Amino acid sequence: MDLIYFEDVTVGESHRFGRYEVTRDEIIEYARQFDPQPFHLDEEAAKASMFGGLIASGWHTGAMFIRMLNDHAIPGSATTGALGFDDLKWLKPVRPGDILSVETVVLEKTKSRSRSDIGVVKVEGRVLDQQGEVKMTLVSLVLYRRRSAPLATG
Amino acid sequence: MTYWEDIKPGDTSTLGSHTVTKEEIIVFATKYDPQPFHLDEEAARQSIFGGLIASGWHSCAIMMRLSVEAMRREQMAGVGSPGIDSCRWQKPVRAGDTVTVRTEILETWPSRTKPLGFIRRKAEMLNQRGEIVLTVIGVGMFRRREATA
Repeated sequence: MDLIYFEDVTVGESHRFGRYEVTRDEIIEYARQFDPQPFHLDEEAAKASMFGGLIASGWHTGAMFIRMLNDHAIPGSATTGALGFDDLKWLKPVRPGDILSVETVVLEKTKSRSRSDIGVVKVEGRVLDQQGEVKMTLVSLVLYRRRSAPLATG
Repeated sequence: MTYWEDIKPGDTSTLGSHTVTKEEIIVFATKYDPQPFHLDEEAARQSIFGGLIASGWHSCAIMMRLSVEAMRREQMAGVGSPGIDSCRWQKPVRAGDTVTVRTEILETWPSRTKPLGFIRRKAEMLNQRGEIVLTVIGVGMFRRREATA
C-alpha cells in the first residue's frame, strides 16, 4: 500500500475509526502504574468522590486514543511521531464498559522551517463513546514525511 | 492538608525522579503506542530518532506518576484536571535516562459554581543532562479549605 505523505493530506479531511472497550481491570492497572488517585483505583473511594464511580485516568484516555491511531491511522501514513498537542480537554469521565472510538479532522498543514523532509499537520482528535458523546478532544501536531525528500536518519 | 488557598502563583517545586528502562518503554509501547521507534531497537536505529525512544504518552504518564506521588507527600487536595493547554515532546526520552520534573504555578482562580479552585501549572521534565524533554502546561482542580469546614 502506498503511504500517505505530507503532500497527500488535505485540510478539512475527516476520518472516524477505532473501537476500544474500556474495562475496570485496565483502568485500575493503568492507575496503579501511573495515576494512583483514589477515583482511578478503588471503586468504593470513587463512589464517594465527585465522579460518583470509577473513572479512567485522563492520561489513560490519551493512551487509548494513541492506540486507536496506531491500529487504524498510523500504519498507512508516513508519520514520524508528533511534536505534542494543544487544547486537550477531558470533557466527560471515561468509565468501565465505555466503548471508545476516534474522529479526526485535519486543521492545518505547515512545512518544517528547519527540515526539508518533514511537515507538521495539525489534527483535531476527538474520543467518542458508544452514544457519540465526546469524552476528550485535543489538537495534535503530527510530523509527516514529505514525498519529495528522502528522510534523514539518525 | 494543602488546599487551593495554599497554592500561590510563582510557587515552584521539584518532584521526584524516575529512571526509564528499556523494558518499560517496550511494555508501554506494546500496549498503547506500537510504533517501530518505541518498540524495536533495530527499527528505531533507522528512524529519525536514531534509537529506541519512549512514547510521548509514556513520558506524560511518568510525569503524572511523579505528580501524584508529590501530591500525596504534601497531602494536596487535588481532584483531577479539566485539561492541558499545551504539551511538547521536546527531546526523546531514552532507556537509561533519569528524569525529574520541576513545576511552577502560573495562576490560580476559584470555581464560580463548585467548592473548588483551579490552578494553571507549568511542568517541565528534565533528563540527567539538564535538558528539557517535555513541557506540559495544564489546569488542576483542588478542594477549597472553606468548603470542608
